[in-house]
Amino acid sequence: MPAQRRSPALCPATCAIALLALTPASAGDPRPSAPADSRTAEQLFAREVLPLLQAKCLACHGRDEAKIKGGLDLRTREAASAGGDSAKPAIVPLQPDASPLYLAVTRSHADWEPMPPKANDALTARQVEHVRTWIAGGAPWPDDTQRAAILAESEKWTKDEGIRVPTSGGLSAGWTDRRYPPADLWAYQPLRKPPVPAVPVPATSPADAAPNPIDAFIHARLATAQLPPAPRADRRTLLRRVTFDLTGLPPTPEEIAAFVSDPAPDGAAFASVIDRLLESPHYGEQMARHWLDIVRYADTSGFANDFARGNAWRYRDYVVRSFNADLPYDRFIREQIAGDELAPANPEAIVATGFLRMGPWELTGMEVPRIARQRFLDDVTDSVGQVFLAHPLQCARCHDHKFDPVPTRDYYALQAIFATTQLAERPAAFLPNENTTGFEEKRLIEARLAHYRAILRRLDEKSITAARAWYAAKQLDPARFEKALAGTTGRKNARGRDAGYTEVRAALLRQGLPEDQVPPRHAGFTTEDYGLERIARKGLERLRWELDRYEPIALAVYSGRTPALSSVLAPLRPPADPHTQGELEATAILTGGDPFSPGAPVVPAMLSAPTSLGDMPPELARAPAEIAGRRTALAAWLASPQNPLPARVIANRVWLWHFGRGLAGNPNNFGVNGRKPTHPELLDWLAATLIERGWSLKALHRLILNSATYARSSSHPQPSLVTERDPHGTLHAVFAARRLAAEELRDASLAVSGELNRTLGGIPVRPEINREAALQPRQVMGTFAEAWQPSPQPEQRHRRSLYALRIRGQPDPFMEVFNAPNADLSCETREASTVTPQVFALFNSEASLARAVAWAERLRRETASRPAAVQRAFALAFGRAPTPAELQQSLAHWEAMNRRHVSLAIERPARPREVIREAVDENTGEKFTFVEPLEAADAFLPDRHLGDLPAEFRGLADLCLVLLNTNEFAYLD
Amino acid sequence: MSPRFPCAGLRALHAPTRRDFLFGLGASIGSVALTSLLARDLRAAAPGADGRPLAARAPHHRARARNCIFLMMEGGPSHIDTFDPKPRLSRLHLQEFTREGKMKSAMESGKRYYVQSPFTFRRAGQSGAEIATNWEHLARVVDDLCFYRGCQVDSVNHPTAMYQMNTGNRFGGDPALGSWVTYGLGSVNQDLPGFIVLPEVSYPQGGAPNWGNGFLPAHFQGTPLRPSGSPILDLAPPAGVTREQQQANLDLLGRLNAAHQAGRAAHEELAARTSAYELAFRMQLQVPGILDLGQEDARTRASYGIGQGATDAFGRKCLLARRLVERGVRFVQLYAGTWDSHDYIERAHGNLVRAVDQPIAALIADLKQRGLLDETLVVWCGEFGRSPDNGVRGGTAYGRDHNPKAMTVWLAGGGVNAGHTIGATDEIGAEAVDCVHHVRDLHVTLLHLLGLDDNRLTYFHGGRFKQLSQFGGTVIKELLA
Repeated sequence: MPAQRRSPALCPATCAIALLALTPASAGDPRPSAPADSRTAEQLFAREVLPLLQAKCLACHGRDEAKIKGGLDLRTREAASAGGDSAKPAIVPLQPDASPLYLAVTRSHADWEPMPPKANDALTARQVEHVRTWIAGGAPWPDDTQRAAILAESEKWTKDEGIRVPTSGGLSAGWTDRRYPPADLWAYQPLRKPPVPAVPVPATSPADAAPNPIDAFIHARLATAQLPPAPRADRRTLLRRVTFDLTGLPPTPEEIAAFVSDPAPDGAAFASVIDRLLESPHYGEQMARHWLDIVRYADTSGFANDFARGNAWRYRDYVVRSFNADLPYDRFIREQIAGDELAPANPEAIVATGFLRMGPWELTGMEVPRIARQRFLDDVTDSVGQVFLAHPLQCARCHDHKFDPVPTRDYYALQAIFATTQLAERPAAFLPNENTTGFEEKRLIEARLAHYRAILRRLDEKSITAARAWYAAKQLDPARFEKALAGTTGRKNARGRDAGYTEVRAALLRQGLPEDQVPPRHAGFTTEDYGLERIARKGLERLRWELDRYEPIALAVYSGRTPALSSVLAPLRPPADPHTQGELEATAILTGGDPFSPGAPVVPAMLSAPTSLGDMPPELARAPAEIAGRRTALAAWLASPQNPLPARVIANRVWLWHFGRGLAGNPNNFGVNGRKPTHPELLDWLAATLIERGWSLKALHRLILNSATYARSSSHPQPSLVTERDPHGTLHAVFAARRLAAEELRDASLAVSGELNRTLGGIPVRPEINREAALQPRQVMGTFAEAWQPSPQPEQRHRRSLYALRIRGQPDPFMEVFNAPNADLSCETREASTVTPQVFALFNSEASLARAVAWAERLRRETASRPAAVQRAFALAFGRAPTPAELQQSLAHWEAMNRRHVSLAIERPARPREVIREAVDENTGEKFTFVEPLEAADAFLPDRHLGDLPAEFRGLADLCLVLLNTNEFAYLD
Repeated sequence: MSPRFPCAGLRALHAPTRRDFLFGLGASIGSVALTSLLARDLRAAAPGADGRPLAARAPHHRARARNCIFLMMEGGPSHIDTFDPKPRLSRLHLQEFTREGKMKSAMESGKRYYVQSPFTFRRAGQSGAEIATNWEHLARVVDDLCFYRGCQVDSVNHPTAMYQMNTGNRFGGDPALGSWVTYGLGSVNQDLPGFIVLPEVSYPQGGAPNWGNGFLPAHFQGTPLRPSGSPILDLAPPAGVTREQQQANLDLLGRLNAAHQAGRAAHEELAARTSAYELAFRMQLQVPGILDLGQEDARTRASYGIGQGATDAFGRKCLLARRLVERGVRFVQLYAGTWDSHDYIERAHGNLVRAVDQPIAALIADLKQRGLLDETLVVWCGEFGRSPDNGVRGGTAYGRDHNPKAMTVWLAGGGVNAGHTIGATDEIGAEAVDCVHHVRDLHVTLLHLLGLDDNRLTYFHGGRFKQLSQFGGTVIKELLA
């Protein structure tokens, strides 16, 4: 750690290096006395110090001549010797303790700002020692030829000096030749199935279960740590755990009773539960939730317009179907990357390519089209890296990767795969197994369209009236105006809307009339009218995207030339001639990631390191130069059993989905900076087994879930022993309890209240979200986004959370506070931090109260006495009977709360049929108000309300609200 | 664990109704237990006190300011029409303007013309800062401001520029400045969020991610206090649920949780969740009082323009911002807009300046008079500036388009070079030419003033240590006192 410095804190850390300068008098500099030392120092320079300078210093001191800090250039000895802005020598040969360069990198000297400035770039102790040794050895600076000779001896290097990774090559020889500690390259090693450790079967395994290799791997480490595992969890706990894990829903009391009383031995009984749950259609929903986190699913495009992506739901359902059908994972990869190329006639394959469209994207008239195109290319390249390869690639957009063996050339070669990938909302017939019900909701959109058209018509009439008055006031002849008006009426304008006053003006101006002879734009408009006009016009534009939802269209891509687009304000249909119109993009390394600074050209290809280190056939890493087939090649490379990464990546994710944490701690990053796997052999064993079993994910789940490791209790009999011997909690001596995810919490509430509609798939639904958030005005480009209108029917609103419309700019506040991820970043692991607004959302919200009321009503229907109702409530919520104390407290609470309710008049809150919006118009800067109709309100059937309950059951609703808020409800043991 | 909440003394006060938590004069819950708040301040002042994520933490170096009030003028105020006069545009007025090159977008299609400012300028204060004359009130405190004309951003579009100004990353998803600051420093008041946002009635383009915590833990998320309705969503229970009922429910919840926790001592999250319910209950009681501007005297309220049509809304936000920093909230961001005046800039900017001028001037003066200005950093900016030219649409509409290459930012308060104008734009205001810095350097400078070193304020995510400036930046020394 850097110590306190005497230099003024106000001096930016980066300017300190300006004081450094190499001793200028290198010519005639006495060479260090001991030649042997010098030889070592030269080797050290070539192998360690120069790469260090390149990695840590040159960004500010040489790489970009325009940005050299303090005038100091460290690229060559000559340049360095010329010094920076200060003449103070940076290096005193043979005297590291007098050399500011050394003192700065130690980060602990009083007079010298720590270098590099960023604390996380600090040199390791070993690297600091290299610098010291090099200076102590005379700070020699061998030239290119000498360095090449030194590096040529690399074969003789010992392993601890690292491994050179053959790649397509970095921008500098130093990068290309750099060495990596073998441990940092673990993920690229060819995947071989390791032998299962020969250890005794853990004592916690059920007697009837076959030995599970997973337990052997886990137990081997526990044995080394001398940490006995926790005992097996009881059946009730296990059932709740595995039911949530595999379906995202709680087990019913009947399922619990059946499992608890199953006479089969523990192993067999649990195995049949696992089989049952893997066949549940809700399995696919739960896995889809995980997958959609990773790919950043949303139903809108984000950014300024946040336009609807009407057909994104078909991709979401494709994911659900794929998991349910146990689609082999290699095929799942292929379809998402290149379904359109592989099976152009299969709508399912077209829908699958929605994966490539998941990132936020738009092109407005404000943006430079080339930049927007590049944003798509960067997004999709990085997304493929994170999702399938656990490699965030964006670092390599601007430079060779600082840490991983990914040269920027690799990045652009991979990106070149997508240079012929074009965005389109493509026709793709509905499949028999897609849910296409509920399309009648389209009438709500049609009502809004009519509303907007009526506004525009009214404003148009107003302008025409005002224009006539203008002619009269100016005493000008309105004949040309009237003629143009007559010629326009009944026509459509360029955007397909009814032509009107704007077109009349345009016609007059086209006739060559000067501006002052033409009635003014927006004639007769009040402040309000300006706003209304904009809202109606933009509203019509926005709704076109919504209308796509009910059509056999897929959010997809096609292979072709890049069309010339200036803005995208309506869904893009594929062109008739994708291979002739538009630009055939030639990909080049973009200097600094700037699309206007192309450097060396690249050809489409795969990442080098997995291919070279993984011993993959080199031909797999090539892609055709033709327009079509590039993604097919990528798909084949990604789905190859010889690719060392994808199988490891998905095996790690499946582990995470069951244990709350991956064997490798950063499931999106297997690179140098990702956390290393705690059980690398186990991860390899799982990945190899996955491939062996035809990439069946269900087989992988079955293996994991039937292990004794998964079935452990979350409480250890000796907690202090666990803390002492497994401080990081990575040995799986106990099962890690977890909080339910946001969606699980909501779905579980609906399940216990009896309201949950378990229908699968289909167009997104709109649950009731916090009413104020629903009506919260929200700016989108040029207008305001529509209010969130809940679906009219309770059974639509009470669908699973997976099916709730996801608007990037308007997240459901309930989901947000319970750590549902932002849809712009790939989420590898859900956070589960506790924050205060969670309390407001779960304890105070109308939604929670509605669940409590429905639940109380259910209990009223299903039970005959108060004790029975409380017992049923506990069974539904926790899968257990209340203790006598809990029963007594609950009954007392019910009664006490009933007494309060006697004096309370409960009024059902009225539902608004319109919302009055107050806004600032951008034309005038003045406030104006407008009325947004809430079309869905007419048919809205509200949830059951407290006032609907007989008074003697209102206290039960309070009890239910409390149960929904308990830790036992929110956490899984 | 006792389920009772330590608020017995407050229970007698009447319950605020759900919809009356306006920043208004109506809600009145009386004075909150300020002494207990202050007592907690002292406890929390110890760095890392009891490991709570929002506990106050020591800065990296001596802080020049403890708190920040960030006045975000969404939409892109025109520097040319506010704080950076360009007389040359009067001579060029309505002459054709051409811009070529790769950065051309559809926004620049059609004929374009130079547009003069419809506003007049004057020199104000002892420092002689040049400001448009319609900033009548700001002129009084102009010597406390440091104008900066050298800032540039990358994006020409609203949400991406807003994201960049707020989070450093154009494409959203990263933590906001306020999140980084509360992550670095914690907050003094443990009963309120450390980062509070006072948005306009309508949320800005890009929405809530403008104050999102990004990849930082959720504790550092900006909490919007909504200007109407419930200030924090679901702060109060639904209509018909009384305080007593809620207390009784909480009591039962506490008992059930205590029994559940008893067998799970090693599971610390359970206790944390129970405490969250206690804190929520305290917040529920205290927030309405803090928002109650009726506790301020009439003269103070009037000075902020509260009660006058044009200035009322922003005046309330400014006064509330002062009350929040006074109570130890670390970072308050206020929104005003939209300044996106493509057309009719005289009317649009005229109205906006009228809405914010008096409130901002009152805020500066009020902070100063209370001795808070020295420890509060005040920032005024938009997401970008505006162009010297415009497409003249329909022959009557004068306005300006977006301009990422030039803008005016001003700072006031702790540690800033007050009374100076730093940097310059070219003679038509098209591009910054002197003391030019990317917005990342502005971010680094703001952190620096708050005692934080951008290079040390990092968080590991996505395979690397991320920081507000994205890749590091430099302090703009000229902006420092």
